[in-house]
Amino acid sequence: MPEATTLRTLSDPGHAGPASRLSRLAPVHWLALIFLVAALGFAAVAWATGNGFYLRLATEALIFAGLAMSVDLLLGYTGLLSLGQALYFGLGAYVSALVLRDVAPSFWLAMAAALLAGGMAGLIGGVIANRVKGVYFALITFGLAQVAAKTVYNTRALGASDGLIGIPQIRVGFGPVSLDTADPLSFFLLVLGLTVTAYAGLSYLMDAPFGRTLAAIRANEKRVPFLGFNAWRYKLAVYVLAACVAALAGALYPMLRGFVSPELMFFETSGNAVITVIVGGVGTLVGPVMGSLLLTALRSVVGSWTEHHLIVVGVIFMLSVIFLRKGLVGALLARLSRRGEAGRTAP
Amino acid sequence: MAELIDYLQFVLAPQALNGLSLGVAVVLMALGLTIIFGLLDVINMAHGEFYAMGAFLALTLAGLGVGFWALLVLVPLLMLPIGWLAERWLIARVFHSRDRHILTLLLTFGLGMILEDLLKLVYGPNTQRPENPIEGGTEILGMFLPNYRLFLIGFGLALIAAVWLVVFRTGLGAMVRAAAFDKDMASSLGVPVRRVYAGTFAFGVALAGLSGVLLAPIYSVFPTMGRDFILMAFTVVIVGGMGSIQGAVVAGLLLTQVQALSSLYISPVWSDPLVFGIMVLVLMVRPQGLFGRLGHA
Amino acid sequence: MTAASLKTTPITATAGNACALGVRDLSVNFGGLQAVAGVGFEAAAGRITSVIGPNGAGKSTLFNLISGAIRPTGGRVTLDGVDVTGRSPDRLLAAGLARSFQITNLFFELPVLENLRIAAQVLERPWHALRPVGHSRRALAKADALLERFGLSAKARELAGNLSHGEQRRLEIAVALAAEPRVLLLDEPTQGMSHGDTADTGALIRSLAGDLTVLLIEHDIGLVMSLSDHVVVMAQGRKIAEGPPAVVRADLAVQAAYFGHG
Repeated sequence: MPEATTLRTLSDPGHAGPASRLSRLAPVHWLALIFLVAALGFAAVAWATGNGFYLRLATEALIFAGLAMSVDLLLGYTGLLSLGQALYFGLGAYVSALVLRDVAPSFWLAMAAALLAGGMAGLIGGVIANRVKGVYFALITFGLAQVAAKTVYNTRALGASDGLIGIPQIRVGFGPVSLDTADPLSFFLLVLGLTVTAYAGLSYLMDAPFGRTLAAIRANEKRVPFLGFNAWRYKLAVYVLAACVAALAGALYPMLRGFVSPELMFFETSGNAVITVIVGGVGTLVGPVMGSLLLTALRSVVGSWTEHHLIVVGVIFMLSVIFLRKGLVGALLARLSRRGEAGRTAP
Repeated sequence: MAELIDYLQFVLAPQALNGLSLGVAVVLMALGLTIIFGLLDVINMAHGEFYAMGAFLALTLAGLGVGFWALLVLVPLLMLPIGWLAERWLIARVFHSRDRHILTLLLTFGLGMILEDLLKLVYGPNTQRPENPIEGGTEILGMFLPNYRLFLIGFGLALIAAVWLVVFRTGLGAMVRAAAFDKDMASSLGVPVRRVYAGTFAFGVALAGLSGVLLAPIYSVFPTMGRDFILMAFTVVIVGGMGSIQGAVVAGLLLTQVQALSSLYISPVWSDPLVFGIMVLVLMVRPQGLFGRLGHA
Repeated sequence: MTAASLKTTPITATAGNACALGVRDLSVNFGGLQAVAGVGFEAAAGRITSVIGPNGAGKSTLFNLISGAIRPTGGRVTLDGVDVTGRSPDRLLAAGLARSFQITNLFFELPVLENLRIAAQVLERPWHALRPVGHSRRALAKADALLERFGLSAKARELAGNLSHGEQRRLEIAVALAAEPRVLLLDEPTQGMSHGDTADTGALIRSLAGDLTVLLIEHDIGLVMSLSDHVVVMAQGRKIAEGPPAVVRADLAVQAAYFGHG
């Protein structure tokens, strides 16, 4: 039964009408809610003990969770493996850094500029990448990101291999209140809020007919045009959406670290995002978030013992690919549903 | 006129020969990749790490007193069982699922990560430089060429020809091509498809290892040595046509010449973006590459 | 009309039955092989027109040409008099032409109801794609109605891949109907069905005509002869005859090419 269950059915409570939709939260959303409570609890403990280091580490994990979510939109919902999503993450980071350093120390301006840049680059990249399918899509996204990364790496105006440093810390205004990115707790809460917003918005979109058409493309792309959909436009739309999400996540990076470097665009970053999605749970959106936190924690713990954490991460990743097709979240949900619906007959 | 001849002799020709020795090496890497893709539909992301593994194995064995010529035989032989097991334990596990293209890519990606870190664990992160097994140089047409590079070009071309002969002129190769064309039909004709798959993967891995032995004396040895090299090999495989042996040879020699000669006119740091740009362009315009696929040509 | 004249003169639509789908001189070749060569006929509105012919006659290729899966190298396709030649499948669907497939072509990993809901989504305004599924009332109602009509209500939440072959064939037709097309192309709808199911499906197709113009590829000659208003016979990429079922059955050329005697 867990093998036969598709990605969609995890977040889709069958065909609930509007009424039952209100009364029933999909199990995957419960998981997200539990996660949110845990994150707030973590923040409270870290704040009470005055532990800024772990708050910043958790913030970074959430930022990379945004990148992983964008990979999940493509891989989990549409069946497109992007090996170059770091291109848009890095682009957002560089644009944000340049705006904050050279234009104005405004959070909203930096985010808007990153969004615009991500959307436009995503449009160009999407038109190029969507000319091909399957492994060729993976390779072309990989190639595109390599061209961009090497170009940034060689461009002196962008700091070349050193990247850009000295990005100022800023105040983020929400009407009358404002918070400081230099304060670990405030910035963690801000990024957490943005992550939850992104999760909610993207989950909504993926459950709306738009996202379900993507699921149809994933399931059987050849049939989709005969049902009146232009599959190419849908794939382009989700590609641009994913690029925007990645760029917005990237835009937060210089606010946290005060610098950006070409490594943010390299294949390691793209590859890590894919690993995060697979380990966390592909096609769930909450999986990438949990996967990012788990892997960050793991790297930090294992990293304190040995520098060879890649072996550990690699083994977990490969085990997930082979045994946990829906990752951590899939395993958790399967356990929950076995307990909750023990009497239900499996299809 | 004399200036032109000087330019050809002292600038262009040495660069082209450098490109050729790199080209032969890249083709050896690309051959393994393209044969594995042509038959199994697997993008072997761990290929670069198998190449590094070959180089390190050579280093270790040389330290134990094994001579260079023996290494050329011994290292590929040692790589064969490693490739065989990787196919049986990893690739075969997900081979029949619907997303196998993506799953096998992910599995080999993870494998490459682990192998790279294992090499770091065993040998440390530092660069090691093996001795040059063939010292000295030869003067040809007024150019001084290191003997090892000449050996590399000659041996590499012979090896490429040998691979060609095995795939296109032997019963073993016929089995591989039949399985690449239609595995069910091949299976019904008595081809042991599972063993052919594992054997082909092992063969590709052995080729990668052999490339490692051959290139170690030129490019030195370090755990991440496969990374940059594999990118070039991927580009070659894509431009030549994934799964095409002729394509890998032609594209490999062509692209390395582009890289070598372009570095005379533009800063060498831009040769990578140039090569990747070519890869993206080919994928956009002609995703099947220059040549057809193994078994389908 | 004599059999000979059938081959040369196109059928003119009878009064009250305007031509819904017109095919004129349609051709395509694959690397020198003329898969469909100069085929022309008209499908009268509200009637059932069948295309028959031996294997390899080019029937499925003809469907692919009409439905936009393949671009023709020559000829024209008209829908209610409008030239739609070479349009993409999604634009053809918007123009009112839908099709089913000979080899079941569903979203196997999605529930049955979701297969139908997706297919019916084009009935909704474009911006409904961004609103909750519950707001797509027309699409949901259409999906429910089709479940009922095709006897799949009990299987609504089952994955399409878990249905029996007969159920999948029914769903295949239902999915093609979900967009409320005016012209429906059915490619061997009874392929692999049991005898009883074939008869049921025949009755169902009969009930579709009237509101809908049906173009049918079918191997079951008995079914074709009993269902069709008009039959087009193809062999080796060409049309060799057309006419009402009784006339076609009597045609010597058809017998030679198709029924294997005469």
